[in-house]
Amino acid sequence: MAADTICAIATPPGQGGVGIVRVSGPAAARLIDAVAGPLPGPRRAVFRRFTDQDGSVLDEGLVLWFPAPGSFTGEDVAEFQGHGGPVLLDRLLRRLIGLGARLARPGEFSERAFLNGKLDLAQAEAVADLIAASSEAAARAAMESLRGVFSERVHTLTDSLIALRVHVESAIDFPDEEIDFLSDGAVADGLAQVQDELAAVRRAAGQGQVLRDGMTVVIAGRPNAGKSSLLNALAETDAAIVTEVAGTTRDVLRERIQIDGMPLHVIDTAGLRDSVNIVEQEGIRRAWRAIGEADRLLLVVDDRCGPDEAARRVLAGRPADTPVTLIRNKIDLSGAGPMTGEEGGIPVIRLSAKTGAGLEGLREHLKASMGYTAGEGNFTARRRHLQALDRAGECLDRAATQLVAGAGELVAEELRQAQQALAEITGEFTSEDLLGAIFSTFCIGK
Amino acid sequence: MYGELFQVIVRGGGHAVTHAARGAARMGSRTLLLTHNMETIGQMSCNPAIGGIGKGHLVKEVDAMGGVMAQAIDQGGIQFRTLNARKGPAVRATRAQADRALYKAAVRHAVENQPNLSVFQQAVDDLLIEQDRVVGAITQMGLVFRAPAVVLTVGTFLGGRIHIGLDNYQGGRAGDPPANALARRLRERPFRVGRLKTGTPPRIDGKTIDFSKLEEQPGDDPAPVFSFMGNRDQHPAQVSCWITHTNPRTHEIIRGALDRSPMYSGEIEGVGPRYCPSVEDKVVRFADKESHQIFIEPEGLDTHEVYPNGISTSLPFDVQLELVRSCVGLERAHITRPGYAIEYDYFDPRDLRPSLETRHVGGLFFAGQINGTTGYEEAAAQGLVAGINAARLVQDREPWNPGRDLAYMGVLIDDLITRGTKEPYRMFTSRAEYRLMLREDNADLRLTPVARRLGLVDDARWAAFEAKRETIEREQQRLRATLIRPADVSPADAQRVFGSPLRREQHLDELLRRPEVSYASLMSLDAAGQPVADPAVAEQVEIQAKYAGYLERQRDEIERSRRYESLPIPEDLDYGQVAGLSSEVRQKLADHRPASIGQAARIAGVTPAAVSLLLVHLRRGERDGQRRRA
Repeated sequence: MAADTICAIATPPGQGGVGIVRVSGPAAARLIDAVAGPLPGPRRAVFRRFTDQDGSVLDEGLVLWFPAPGSFTGEDVAEFQGHGGPVLLDRLLRRLIGLGARLARPGEFSERAFLNGKLDLAQAEAVADLIAASSEAAARAAMESLRGVFSERVHTLTDSLIALRVHVESAIDFPDEEIDFLSDGAVADGLAQVQDELAAVRRAAGQGQVLRDGMTVVIAGRPNAGKSSLLNALAETDAAIVTEVAGTTRDVLRERIQIDGMPLHVIDTAGLRDSVNIVEQEGIRRAWRAIGEADRLLLVVDDRCGPDEAARRVLAGRPADTPVTLIRNKIDLSGAGPMTGEEGGIPVIRLSAKTGAGLEGLREHLKASMGYTAGEGNFTARRRHLQALDRAGECLDRAATQLVAGAGELVAEELRQAQQALAEITGEFTSEDLLGAIFSTFCIGK
Repeated sequence: MYGELFQVIVRGGGHAVTHAARGAARMGSRTLLLTHNMETIGQMSCNPAIGGIGKGHLVKEVDAMGGVMAQAIDQGGIQFRTLNARKGPAVRATRAQADRALYKAAVRHAVENQPNLSVFQQAVDDLLIEQDRVVGAITQMGLVFRAPAVVLTVGTFLGGRIHIGLDNYQGGRAGDPPANALARRLRERPFRVGRLKTGTPPRIDGKTIDFSKLEEQPGDDPAPVFSFMGNRDQHPAQVSCWITHTNPRTHEIIRGALDRSPMYSGEIEGVGPRYCPSVEDKVVRFADKESHQIFIEPEGLDTHEVYPNGISTSLPFDVQLELVRSCVGLERAHITRPGYAIEYDYFDPRDLRPSLETRHVGGLFFAGQINGTTGYEEAAAQGLVAGINAARLVQDREPWNPGRDLAYMGVLIDDLITRGTKEPYRMFTSRAEYRLMLREDNADLRLTPVARRLGLVDDARWAAFEAKRETIEREQQRLRATLIRPADVSPADAQRVFGSPLRREQHLDELLRRPEVSYASLMSLDAAGQPVADPAVAEQVEIQAKYAGYLERQRDEIERSRRYESLPIPEDLDYGQVAGLSSEVRQKLADHRPASIGQAARIAGVTPAAVSLLLVHLRRGERDGQRRRA
């Protein structure tokens, strides 16, 4: 009875050997065909390449095909078993969504299984509990995702979209009033503004780009603060030469690492100090350039002294919107315990690169700053939000086309769809809400 | 006596009543129309106009189902306009000024000549109710009429109170008596009752207006036609409307008199419509606006009285006179009737079923202003649906419910019964999520076949409709089958019609989808063959081609939501037994008592997870039941 096809990552979040994406609904067969070639026989695992829209390979692994009703949900079901890791799985999910599937709601697979008679009555209570619990968890995760800059930008975006709709809809519903915005430039300007704001939200959300290309983390600080040790500890290799001699690192060192499958570019830089050595001067110049490119700075100080002159210089000299984490290193020497906290609005992590104490806290922190934490499915929440933004963006683009063509009612339709997409993030906005906004903006009425 | 003869009783005097009564009668029910005054049948108690954005859509839908409103305005309309003519077919709407007398005569003629329908002049004082079912009505003089279905379309007469300045008195609109006894009887039942307010402007003698100072607003030429069965030749003589404005001095007069305004002194508790505020409300709420429009609307061909639309007020009469005379062109105006505000009771429409039958009294239907709506068109649409369902109840058939995807009538009813209303409800196109499908131009294609099956459409209308539908389909087939090759079109023609040379061969229907191409321009090509003669058909073919992509998208959307619409929720469901629901959602559902899963999903605050939980609960109940039977 379901008309739409849902998809979701079926394996627990985090790094694993295998990651499974499950699809249920009438389009399952078509999706297999598009992503992994001809439909395999029912309930037989075949090895295939998973391809993107342009034919490039996303991953490879097993594909299974369970035709209705002999499947877990009672509908046509497809399973893609690829390599674990959120990045690959996310790409696969995006591909499926691009082909017309939608992200499943929490508990929706079980719901369908139950509704199609695949679970017995005794399990019904459990299904209800699952739906209630997982939707609550999802709601919490969504709140989590909606913090900080992202949230602010989303609200600005929503407000602008509502203002635009107020203009367009009142021009349609109240043509006798002196408010025909469709015929002047106001709507075009408003639409361009909303499109800009959407782009800003996408940037603030960050995750999309970070997921594709990895986050660039730059380690900076004064000489001999333990930056290279930190790089080695994170990379679990001896990529950087570590000595007691301050100023050992003269160039920037780049290392690609993964935390639970999330790619990171970690850049170790020369210690920042005034130096007469030409080679060291060049290293410091390069360090500053790397700081300019960072998605996040790890500012390393010796826990025994706290923030020093170099730290102050980095804080003052970095691009204003680059986030910083203060790393209080060498707790093995200061005697303090590992800790994750905050000082003056800046996250602070106390650790020892040498012994590894507190390093796990840093890993968690880095994952969180990529919009990903294990457990509550924040990653999925953010994915959902990004998908909503993408859909809204497509509608806005089409609205712009229709505006040029002069089709006011189609502009209105695209804006309505854009708002519907955003409702996934900001909550429902009904036609009654819209009318309320119109009547409080304009004096309407004969 | 008399009473045994009837199957459906309809009580009221406005636009809902005529549509309910004729609807039930056309479906074969012996119907009695009870009214306190036969002279009020077809009367326009507020402004003399039919249609407008959203409302015109309703009129055409009612017409497509055989209702009288469109035909009456075609015979009584004295200024016709198409609104939003340049904004795309979905939001185009027809509006006409009416000659009150001509309009009323046309409605009365339709009522009096309707087979199966009798009219009797007596106010209904009380209802006969047996075991929570209505079984008849008792009139003012004690006559008893029995019938298994009763439709109440009493409007502002329930608990009506009229305000002019700080004076107020009981009464219905336009001097009609209030129906207090009936109101008391209904209040005994567990209906939720609310209070609303509406108002009218003072009427003015046109002989005292200097029209040379006003801006003229003529009707469209050629004038649009309302009814699918109507034509332009039915229109009487056409006249213009006129526009003037309030000014800073008007606003000063109003501000100076607010202490004598019943709205601002707290005399009026009812909630007024935000889209139709009184002039004092406009001045207070939008203080920085220096001027508001006033549309001077003629009341008829045989009267000088005009309706100054835009200055509804309940200020004292001396202030009304002063504010009117402060406007350009109205300096010497004589007021023929004072403006006033009226407060009245309405019954929370969430106590209705989708059929408009009340939940608390079986066989009793409500339609029109009693449900919290305003406007003749909204009333007519509800009246028609209530009449249909009263007749179907008598025939022991399932009720008919137009969905949100079929008609504005469906949007109207679903909004009312799902969300209720806090202000007088009027239709706007922005209320319809399937706006691109619910157009004036295709109201007949959407509804006439349905109405024919229901038994509402006579042979003449059906034959005309079928001919039109066939011509449209034939032409669409021809466009799909006709291939135009680049060689078929001269470079000059290609430039003229397409704005660029034709690069590859294409079918006519694909070419018509291009934004720059119209049906007329396409048909000007020799290779395009013979166009259809009927402009309504040509319009339909063009619109369906232009909207094709969007209509497909909306149909998908509808398909997805339909599975929920078709899943009923038992009326007596105990929401306390639904596992996992939050107490807030539980309360909301218990208050609204949605009739289907789809309706539940539309209640504000009911989350998708809550809908899932409801689904699981209902399915569990079903299986439980099966197991017990087995």
